[in-house]
Amino acid sequence: MKTREITVTVNGRKRTVTVEVRRTLADFLREDLGLTATHLGCEHGVCGACTVVVDGHTERSCTQLAVQADGREITTVEGLAGPDGELHPVQQALRDNHSFQCGFCTPGFVMSIYGMCEEKKAGRSVPCSRAAIREELSGNICRCTGYQSIVDGAEAALAGAGSDTGKDA
Amino acid sequence: MAGGSAISGLVGARVHRKEDRTILTGTGRYIDDVQERGMLHCHFLRSTVAHGRITSIDVSAAREVEGVVRVFTGADMSAITEDLSFAQPIPGLNSPSYPAIARDVVRFVGEPVALVVAESRYIAEDAAALIEIEYDLLEPVMSTAAGLAEGATQLFDDVPGNVVHTDEQLFGDIEAAFAQADHVVTQSLDQHRWACNPMETRGGVATYETGSGQLTYEASTQTTHTLRFLLAGWIRHPIHQFRVTANNIGGGFGLKFSAYREDVAVCAAAKAIGGTVKWVEDRNEHLVAAGAAREEQLTLEAAVKADGTLLGLRVTMKLDAGAYPINPPATVYAGLVRTTLPGPYKLPAYQFRHHIVATNKASYISLRGPWAVETLVRERLMDKIAHTCGISPVEVRNRNLITLDDQPTKMITNVTLENVTAAETFQKLVEMVDLDAVRREQEAARAEGRLLGFGVGTFIEPAPGTQEFWAAVGFPFGSEPCRIRIEIDGKVTAFTPQTPHGQSHETTLSQLIADELGVGFDDIRIVYGDTDATPFSMLGTGGSRAATMASGAVVYGSRELRKRLLEIASHILEASVDDLDIADGVVSVKGAPGASVPIAQIAMGCWLAPEQMPPGTNTEMEFVANYDGEGGGFSQASHACWIEVDQQTGKIEIKRFLVVEDCGKMINPAVVEGQVIGGIAMGVGGMLLEHSAYADDGQYLAATFMDYLMPSAPELPEIEIEHLEFESDKVVGSRGVGEGGTVLAPAALLNAIDDALAQVGRERVTETPVTPTRMLELLGVIEKE
Amino acid sequence: MKPPVFDYVSPATLEEAIQALSAPDDGDVKVLAGGQSLVPLLNLRLSQPGLIVDINGLDELTGITEEAGYLTVGALVRQREAELSDVVRTACPLLHEAIPLIGHTAIRNRGTVGGSIAHADPAAELPTVAACLDAELVARGPGGERTIPAADFFTGFFTTALAEDEILTAVRVRSVGPATGAAYEEVARRHGDFAMAGVAAQVRLDGDTVAEARIAISGVDLAPVRATKAEAALAGRTVDDSILDEAADAAVADLSPSSDLHGSAAYRKHVAGVLIRKAVAAAAARAREAR
Repeated sequence: MKTREITVTVNGRKRTVTVEVRRTLADFLREDLGLTATHLGCEHGVCGACTVVVDGHTERSCTQLAVQADGREITTVEGLAGPDGELHPVQQALRDNHSFQCGFCTPGFVMSIYGMCEEKKAGRSVPCSRAAIREELSGNICRCTGYQSIVDGAEAALAGAGSDTGKDA
Repeated sequence: MAGGSAISGLVGARVHRKEDRTILTGTGRYIDDVQERGMLHCHFLRSTVAHGRITSIDVSAAREVEGVVRVFTGADMSAITEDLSFAQPIPGLNSPSYPAIARDVVRFVGEPVALVVAESRYIAEDAAALIEIEYDLLEPVMSTAAGLAEGATQLFDDVPGNVVHTDEQLFGDIEAAFAQADHVVTQSLDQHRWACNPMETRGGVATYETGSGQLTYEASTQTTHTLRFLLAGWIRHPIHQFRVTANNIGGGFGLKFSAYREDVAVCAAAKAIGGTVKWVEDRNEHLVAAGAAREEQLTLEAAVKADGTLLGLRVTMKLDAGAYPINPPATVYAGLVRTTLPGPYKLPAYQFRHHIVATNKASYISLRGPWAVETLVRERLMDKIAHTCGISPVEVRNRNLITLDDQPTKMITNVTLENVTAAETFQKLVEMVDLDAVRREQEAARAEGRLLGFGVGTFIEPAPGTQEFWAAVGFPFGSEPCRIRIEIDGKVTAFTPQTPHGQSHETTLSQLIADELGVGFDDIRIVYGDTDATPFSMLGTGGSRAATMASGAVVYGSRELRKRLLEIASHILEASVDDLDIADGVVSVKGAPGASVPIAQIAMGCWLAPEQMPPGTNTEMEFVANYDGEGGGFSQASHACWIEVDQQTGKIEIKRFLVVEDCGKMINPAVVEGQVIGGIAMGVGGMLLEHSAYADDGQYLAATFMDYLMPSAPELPEIEIEHLEFESDKVVGSRGVGEGGTVLAPAALLNAIDDALAQVGRERVTETPVTPTRMLELLGVIEKE
Repeated sequence: MKPPVFDYVSPATLEEAIQALSAPDDGDVKVLAGGQSLVPLLNLRLSQPGLIVDINGLDELTGITEEAGYLTVGALVRQREAELSDVVRTACPLLHEAIPLIGHTAIRNRGTVGGSIAHADPAAELPTVAACLDAELVARGPGGERTIPAADFFTGFFTTALAEDEILTAVRVRSVGPATGAAYEEVARRHGDFAMAGVAAQVRLDGDTVAEARIAISGVDLAPVRATKAEAALAGRTVDDSILDEAADAAVADLSPSSDLHGSAAYRKHVAGVLIRKAVAAAAARAREAR
């Protein structure tokens, strides 16, 4: 069978789509659903730009097939901000800390940090030292920042409140 | 963020980035995000051999695949395009032209040999797999030494002996310098290839409108105008019918400064097919074919006095250019290294020779501070001189550095130095580091069997450099334009030829305009990446020019418009221009609340009824400023690096990294720090992890991110930064800071490694990258293969 | 980098899955579990199967149980689930130590215990753990179930004793008793990378002397290597620096690893010795604590 109908809930919305069985989940999200925030940086599971949350866990969307997402619930970075455009606390913490530059790796980091925060909320012990955050984020590659500002943002997000060093204009 | 409210004094503050809301919510538009109706996708088939003559290519099976729209061979593509030529009237430069898709000979693994255009990328890849191609293999040339060897296989008929360019330049009396020397200190370094690897690879979407004949290329580029200018000729398209745009760009680091053969092929394909064609380079293609940098071998001989004073320097550089030239010509890289190498040091005599050699590899390209090897070899040489003369790395620099008191002065390479504070950053660094304590700590560690290293370095960064500097390099130093418009409602739009890709120009330029014009930060929009809208510049975003040049353009442009507003307001408010001020978008009389007129009111009058505005005033609410750089200048920094070497595994841990930098007036310290830290990360990655490696037969060995090792968060240290902000008398006192981290960090790191090796009586590093294997070889723990 | 064309089935039962594997097909058949190795290979078109049998729907292959002195981990158990499992931590501390070294959280959230073992990457952690512990690898094929000892399972470079129509269903190891400690040490270029060399060690003490030492090495051969000479050198001895040296020397003497971009043969050989000392010392220290 070369195509198959799947039903997936993405960012709270149920979608039923016929996909080619070889289509990756990332391409399905980007091309078929038009959710282009999930980026493809390597397509072999190293860079983490395509990280999404599937059934509550962070996973790479480039290393699974869309058909495998049948019946599952997916959250992408498009699903985080509030309906009025209000940034999710994770996004706000990252903004407050000037975490990113070019923005290409950003959705993957946002989802990884969101995943850490959700684990923490769920009561699982998440080590929050800077070294532990670096380790936990080692599956996401950023070429611009040298990570320090991302660790600042993740630290603030995990603390549950943005330690805002910025100045609003 | 309060909409439209103006806070004076935004310049210098850690203002939140305008760019962040877009990137954090994933609503940007990177190349692969472009989805047009009827859009086709393409895929390049690439050479699997390093050097060979194409004897046959059969694309018939590929053409029959359902969903394939067109397959272009080299011959097909050559029928509709000109060969790419980057030739310039530079004496002795051999710059071969080459087709967008290889026609006869392939010269590196990854060279495009066919282009498949199809309804999806999946189908294009299916079809490409069915193309049959045969090669007559030719001997690959895989090093500069092999290329220069007697009887070496020649890559191009018009590059005799594989020498792209060779030159020798003499400054001062080099013979006398060596005649007076107490010591001659020599050093060599063989730097490996490594690459830019922006997280977004190359790519573009070309749309040809068959009715109007209009071609639009939305590209991931650092320079829209140059891309348009170069491509128009190669694809034989009238330039007035050609628009190049750029939206979000996922990093560039120098790579996206050139126009590439893939750009040519994609634009030509869209035109030939009559529609929209998207090309997104995948990571595998990117690593293999996009080009890499830094592959240079240098030997240095320094004439020094017994006290460590530099008398003269002889340098020879061989640069492995890969097969095909790109923009800029390779002579620019040699010129940059030659001109910058003396750095912030007094150097009475200097000889620089270079050989740029063609090899069967992907192109040598620009990478963040393309001249960086000059700082790497010079700073390591300074340490070796210190060692030879029995003085400390601090002392040798103090004896040779040019201080502010010495300036203005000329570098031996005929570049005037003025307001250069490398010595002052170094002084501050030394104050912040207790060198004696460092040595005591090292001794204590050695007693426990641990090995610590410490290294320093200092440098100047031509960001933007000066007229003289770029003349010496052989590259234009253009002025920078910006068009600023006060809109009918008093809000501001600025059009810049910059093509920012992470450098936060939307934020920093808005900060400057907000302060200069007295309008709200949120009431300013920065438009970039559209050749239909932005003023012309050959340069775009690169060379860390924006902090000075783009800033100057918006400052001068804002001031001119401010002047016009104030003149009109002075008539309306019946007050002298000197008594007026603008804040929050309102012109008011100082000390007379109520006597005010909003910018919006003036602007509306100027746009709708200029004839009713006060006579003799300039009612044009749009102005193109051109900033000449006020002579330009340099930024500078000093780094200190503390490492620990695991003598059992050869792994190097950076324990601490300290930066003292001076880029003049900081527009936004958060942006400066982001550039510095990101730059250092890249430099560290380049020295310890990343390697665009080839096998002897020309096969590429690092074609995935499993093998090309980008540094991740745990590999990098927390970086401490101390800012000095030298205040010059220039209107724009800000200097660029984008490349320095990548330029200087390798020097401080390798000096620290050498320092560790010296403590156990071992020789210095002469080849990079310093992998765990190489480290154990240097330590004598294992045999070298 | 897009997967080639293939057929795809996602059986609901193990029987159906085995049937799918056995059905004649014009191309290669691949079992898809977590996909963290297979899908990148598909994207790179280094793997071009005619049929993919997705076993993610097989609930029979899930679950972690400890029974009668054996820990059984279903082949489809996600690595992350095993990493966080208290049962695994107490019954098989070596597995608990090794799993966090695999890739990154997002990889382990998807990657499975059985998938990594069946993929048989000689640099990977789980095959090395299996080799170290003489794990029993439970496989089911058309002829029923069989148990393959780890020593017979890893037959070469990315190859195993699994027949084309067999599916790995579970991994079984003996639960550790008292006075037993384990450690997994490896050297990778970066955090989360495949190791240039790695060592799994489990030590059981009798008083102060080693009752049993188990050591396996990754990254130095076509398959994980069991360091039997080192194990013998340790048996009945008290762990100290000189015995560690003796064990490490015994183990590396027989190794002839190959070189690649990331580490030379000499490097791998040297580091294997270093890691044996570290891992055995750490395992012995933990065994002492567990007495």
